Amino acid sequence: MKSLILLSGLGVLTLLSEIFNFKRKIFPVVLLGLLGTIVLSAMYWNTNKHYFNDMMFFDNYAVAFTCLISFIAFAWFLLSQNYFNEETNLTDHFALILFALVGAVIMVSYQNMSMLFLGIETLSLSLYVLAGSRKNDLHSNEAALKYFLMGAFATGFLLFGIALIYGVTGSFNLQTIANYITLNSGNIPALFYTGVLLMMVGMAFKISAAPFHFWAPDVYQGSPLVITAFMATIVKTAAFAAFFRLFFTCFSTIESVWGNIIFVMAILTLAVGNITATYQESVKRMLAYSSIAHAGYMLLAILAMNKFSAGSILFYTAAYSVASITAFTVLSIIINKSNNEAIDAFNGLGKRNPFLAFAMTVAMLSLAGIPPMAGFFGKYYLFNAALQSGQTTIVLVAVLASLVGVYYYFKAIIAMYFKSGSDSSPVEVSFIHKLLLVLTLVLIFAMGLMSDFVIRLL
Amino acid sequence: MSTIQAIPLNWYILLSAVLFVIGVLGVLYRRNAIIIFMSVELMLNAVNLLLTAFSSYRGDSAGQVFVFFIMAVAAAEVAVGLAILIVIYRNTNSTDINFLNKLKW
Amino acid sequence: MIKLVALVPLFPIIGFLLLGLFGKKWSKSLASIVGSGAIFASFVVAVGIFIELLGADAAHKTATFSLFEWIDAGKFSVAISFLIDPLSSLFILIITGIGFLIHLYSAGYMHDDEGHNKFFSYLNLFIFFMLLLVLGSNYVMMFVGWEGVGLCSYLLIGFWFKNTNYNNAAKKAFVMNRIGDLGFLLGIVLIFITFGSVDYATVFEQATHFTSGETVITTITILLFIGAMGKSAQLPLFTWLPDAMAGPTPVSALIHAATMVTAGIYMIARSNILFTLAPVTLEIVAITGLATALFAATIGLAQNDIKKVLAYSTVSQLGLMFLALGVGAYTSGVFHVMTHAFFKALLFLGAGSVIHAMSGEQDIRFMGGLKKHLPITFLTFLIGTMAIAGVPPFAGFFSKDEILAHVFEHNKIMWLLGILTSMMTAFYMFRLFFLVFSGQFRGTKEQAHHLHESPKSMTIPLIVLAVLSVLGGFLGLPETFHAKHLLEGFLEPVFEASEVRMLPNHLTHLTEWALMGVAVITMIIVVLVARSKYVKNNEVPVPESTTLKPAHKLVYNKYFVDEFYNAIFVKPINWLSQKFHSIFELQFIDGIVNGMGSLVVWTGRNLRYAQTGNVGFYIFAMVLSVVLILLVNYLR
Repeated sequence: MKSLILLSGLGVLTLLSEIFNFKRKIFPVVLLGLLGTIVLSAMYWNTNKHYFNDMMFFDNYAVAFTCLISFIAFAWFLLSQNYFNEETNLTDHFALILFALVGAVIMVSYQNMSMLFLGIETLSLSLYVLAGSRKNDLHSNEAALKYFLMGAFATGFLLFGIALIYGVTGSFNLQTIANYITLNSGNIPALFYTGVLLMMVGMAFKISAAPFHFWAPDVYQGSPLVITAFMATIVKTAAFAAFFRLFFTCFSTIESVWGNIIFVMAILTLAVGNITATYQESVKRMLAYSSIAHAGYMLLAILAMNKFSAGSILFYTAAYSVASITAFTVLSIIINKSNNEAIDAFNGLGKRNPFLAFAMTVAMLSLAGIPPMAGFFGKYYLFNAALQSGQTTIVLVAVLASLVGVYYYFKAIIAMYFKSGSDSSPVEVSFIHKLLLVLTLVLIFAMGLMSDFVIRLL
Repeated sequence: MSTIQAIPLNWYILLSAVLFVIGVLGVLYRRNAIIIFMSVELMLNAVNLLLTAFSSYRGDSAGQVFVFFIMAVAAAEVAVGLAILIVIYRNTNSTDINFLNKLKW
Repeated sequence: MIKLVALVPLFPIIGFLLLGLFGKKWSKSLASIVGSGAIFASFVVAVGIFIELLGADAAHKTATFSLFEWIDAGKFSVAISFLIDPLSSLFILIITGIGFLIHLYSAGYMHDDEGHNKFFSYLNLFIFFMLLLVLGSNYVMMFVGWEGVGLCSYLLIGFWFKNTNYNNAAKKAFVMNRIGDLGFLLGIVLIFITFGSVDYATVFEQATHFTSGETVITTITILLFIGAMGKSAQLPLFTWLPDAMAGPTPVSALIHAATMVTAGIYMIARSNILFTLAPVTLEIVAITGLATALFAATIGLAQNDIKKVLAYSTVSQLGLMFLALGVGAYTSGVFHVMTHAFFKALLFLGAGSVIHAMSGEQDIRFMGGLKKHLPITFLTFLIGTMAIAGVPPFAGFFSKDEILAHVFEHNKIMWLLGILTSMMTAFYMFRLFFLVFSGQFRGTKEQAHHLHESPKSMTIPLIVLAVLSVLGGFLGLPETFHAKHLLEGFLEPVFEASEVRMLPNHLTHLTEWALMGVAVITMIIVVLVARSKYVKNNEVPVPESTTLKPAHKLVYNKYFVDEFYNAIFVKPINWLSQKFHSIFELQFIDGIVNGMGSLVVWTGRNLRYAQTGNVGFYIFAMVLSVVLILLVNYLR
């Protein structure tokens, strides 16, 4: 809770800094603030506190995800340091990002549907603006409008679902609703199930699961790169954590209603994400499809719905986000250098800057799920959780899909090491980016070794 | 018995469902972004109506508080949406969503 | 020393890290010292472990060392722990020993390459993963090593990445291996489901309670075997290995002789109890092995690239090892792994020395007469050739003979085909040898001028390996010689459980002598044929441009035998092997593998058009899906 207040305070402070003219110093302040957030929320470990008349519930799940989100945000700020230097209205961006983070933290710690709604909207409204923050770039405009239109539309479904559930149970509280289901099993009106499914649609949209994924590739490609990185990591993590929290606390007992639908959704998502990614020329767009594919893997945790799910989803989102941040950092350096986001821009990177190439390779291997990188263990734990619940078919599909995944992740590696590009000048990397890359690389390997520790947290 | 409860609950559900579907169809069939916004607002208002009816029938105020949340957020959403639209209108002189297909495949 | 087992994989990974982090700034000599030194340090520890095991009594021959719990999820737990027993100690000895020699050799071979230091870091990483594979005490660790070795081979084969062909070879190796890996992974999953553990000790202990031929064991072993097929290049997943020749020669030696390809053999030998309980799988293993051995040997007859010949011979020899495993002769299979490691490393490094001298030329049609220019290479290569052809008393003779004796007992037809294979092996190896070293030099003037013996760092490994190729066979003398089969005694604890389930097999001494006699006599005939063809008659395979003419005109009737032989034996097999190569291997097998890939890419190309860019369509898709979901819900 204190972390939430700190984040909001930081957001307001950055807005004020415009007025009081200390914008130059705001960057380190924000970084410190984020570290403070991590510490503050970690202090809530094992306290299980309820706030605002049970609207929020800081259990270990919430604490772990708050720490994760704050940490990724920290890494993200390091990544986007250059980007902000070029911007004129720097403080607005900072404030929007911080408010988006507030939304994300609410999304992982809500105990009441109204907080879920507010969290999602706080996050999304900031992002609509950020996606369109390159005002004169038509692609950025298009991305913003597409994201906004479809996002608002999906929110409509989510709200209608909430309303129906409220109508049947008379409460927005997750625990009360869960109790209602156990007490009335057998004579729950169909209206309730409709509500559940409509909420599921709304959430599936947010995590970009097929067939509600259509916005993602376009929005990811059109948005400024750093915003894409933000969406692919923090937004995805928060959305998925919210999705899982909702279904785990509320609807885990009525799996017969949503199980088959999520099953089909997961298969579609895995197939569409992985297969379409194979033919993408733009690395940014390829990463967008890969993020769709990863949503497909994460859906396995919801299908598994057992005591291993929470831990495996935490680990998976962490592994995925860290690897994605690495990949986006390298991509941003490349785009800065060559102004080209196609895969050809990576040609010969193994010679032009071996360290960058190595970082990208590790990120790709981790995303592809090759041991001993963190990504492998993420997949492994997810599959294991699903297998424990007897979900063999979906695990088989996921394994096949990850084989396809190897193909497109390796395209980048091949380009870096086995092709030579027209430009062979070395690529410069700023100190902060170097620091960030070393940090993430160490994490990718360390998480592989320490996977057991992370998993046992939840 | 208040005025709201003079009408059976099912009618409210039906009405808001119809309003919601009209909203969905509006989003589906119209190409002008502003009209699409209005259709989305219609969907949200259908939800508001539903929540108010439920709240009143159950004698629980939480639903009506939620309606206020929705109204506040919807207002913010319109502000952001119109801002985005204005930027787009400046660049393309149009609010037709079918012209927005630079990003694809 | 056994307690220090963790050091064995530790040294190479430290070497890799040092080279990877600082290698760029180091001089070449420092990099090669660090790289080779790391492996040498491992080798010393491995020798220590080996000696200690030799002295230990049966109860103390197996030891497990756990470092820490790595994965612990529910019932599933995996520890980072090392298993030392005779089998793994023998393998680490081979890996580090041969590995060290190859490192030493690389210092000379890669000296002029700009990627010298990077090369050494890859080599160290490769050795590290291979050691992990062999030392792990559970299937998951084996799998980690398995994948790591695959990755490193990809890096090493594509080391000279400017050439697209090399690149494709690297990709092919990776894809083929992935197919096998999938089988292996599924096998591990099934093992866990069946036995509730992936730990060797638990799995093998529980397996003894199963009766022979149970379906679940058969399924597990078949899945494991699919993994072995990919890694050890068996039919139909073998085509990557000959293409993998694209890498620098020391890499070929490393992949072919000491590491990677023997992983499949190791896996089956390690899981021997499971395979023993699945007679059906064993039969499949034997047949696949034999077919591969025969198939690859026929292709070897018609190749003109020095490394290609050796590559197909590796595939063929691996087939032989699988044949041994398939008939239940686990010790013989491992024995052949060892002797093969000696002479195949020798042959590859010798070939490397030849290529080095020939300034990169690999076609044997442009060699010849190298005897006087490369005396050491010539002598050591001769020893290697004799060892692989099965000339007594060189290493290959004893191991091959042992395998064939076991096969004879199992099935006479298989034995006959095995003899046929080793005849072909002898033929193409001596053909290679004669074409390279005897006769006149057929290359360009420039090459002739440049011919030279390789530097010391390259010849010393050759000499060491030659000595091993001569003496290696004496570790496993047949019983007929009234000597102790040293290796069998040493490996006994590993295969104990399997042996009690196998039929006791002892041929009479007379049969054994007879079998040996047949093998030696056929071999001698074949060598003589090859000699008259390539030395006396100075025949050179026709260049690529001319199509194969019908048999030479019968002018010199003196060589009628040769012509006869040519017409009814070499020609058809030539034809067959070329057809096999072009139709079966290139079109059919590659077709399937590439076909799957292109199918996915094709789908990807077309599927992306669903992403029309039109918001209206996106919203339509969403609404349609919502309607469908709700409909399904109401109809439920």
